[in-house]
Amino acid sequence: MAETLADSPPPRFAHDSEAELARILDFYQVAWRYEPDVFPISWNADGTVVESFAPDFYLPEVDLYLELTTLKQSLVRKKNRKLRYLRQLYPEVRVKLFYARDFKALMVKYGRLDFLADVQTMNGSGPIEDGDDRLGGED
Amino acid sequence: MNPVTTDAAVAAIHADVEEVLLTEAQVRERVVELGVQLTADYADRDPVLVSVLKGSIIFLADLVRAMPIPLSVDLMEVSSYGDATETSGQVRILKDLSGSIKGRHVLVVEDIIDTGLTLNYLLHLLRDRKPASLRVCCLLDKPARRLADIEIDYRGFTIPDRFVIGYGLDYAERYRNLPYIGVLKPSVYATGGGPQG
Repeated sequence: MAETLADSPPPRFAHDSEAELARILDFYQVAWRYEPDVFPISWNADGTVVESFAPDFYLPEVDLYLELTTLKQSLVRKKNRKLRYLRQLYPEVRVKLFYARDFKALMVKYGRLDFLADVQTMNGSGPIEDGDDRLGGED
Repeated sequence: MNPVTTDAAVAAIHADVEEVLLTEAQVRERVVELGVQLTADYADRDPVLVSVLKGSIIFLADLVRAMPIPLSVDLMEVSSYGDATETSGQVRILKDLSGSIKGRHVLVVEDIIDTGLTLNYLLHLLRDRKPASLRVCCLLDKPARRLADIEIDYRGFTIPDRFVIGYGLDYAERYRNLPYIGVLKPSVYATGGGPQG
């Protein structure tokens, strides 16, 4: 079943940017679920799952998973690698990675640069500028 | 009127443009091509062209003049997430259509489709009003951050993931009057401002 932030209790988001995206989806009445599925992506010799990937959002109306990665470059590389495995193992699954630059563009579009600054301050990082490699991209 | 002040004002609006993505001539030529195609497809359909304020008005104005067939025009305006005074709000219709679209052939004319969230909401709304057909024509398709499945029937240009202004597109209500599609310098929005329409 799809969620909204009006649900009680609302999901516990791992990051403020995820909560902000949920608010945007709610605003435009787009159904979403938070981390509804976990995809195993590597196993050890006896078949035990050793690594999995749980995309942040699932948008059921468009059958699309969405993963936000907004700050540390090390996490971007890790998520890019996981995403690569996911696409190899589950080619039927549609998943989109939202990089820092994508999230920033959304905040610019909606005039929410103050929110962007707050998020970066809370995470102890400096402001993200164009050209900053924290903005993401394929590794 | 002081000519020095006028020159400075004209220079200022162009100075915030990092790069011209599509020239005035390129836009004009493509709009005419779209008009020719739409004229053929809608010649005997008496379509209603529905545009969303405010960004689409310049595209709409040029497009209808490239469609010498019987048609009508209607306008809508919806609130943007960036305009919401409380973050728990929902999109609202600020201006609804003036007439009924039941049984009419409706063509939604959009300036740009980015996430597709606004258009997705509008298409659901318009579909519920039982038009005979419902199609989408956009000048600019920016698919990089698409969050909604939007079927685009007529497309002017597919553009890269840049913040574009001009030809109706704004940043903080500015630059709509540029005759071309330009890329806004990041230094302009790094200092804050309002939403793109």
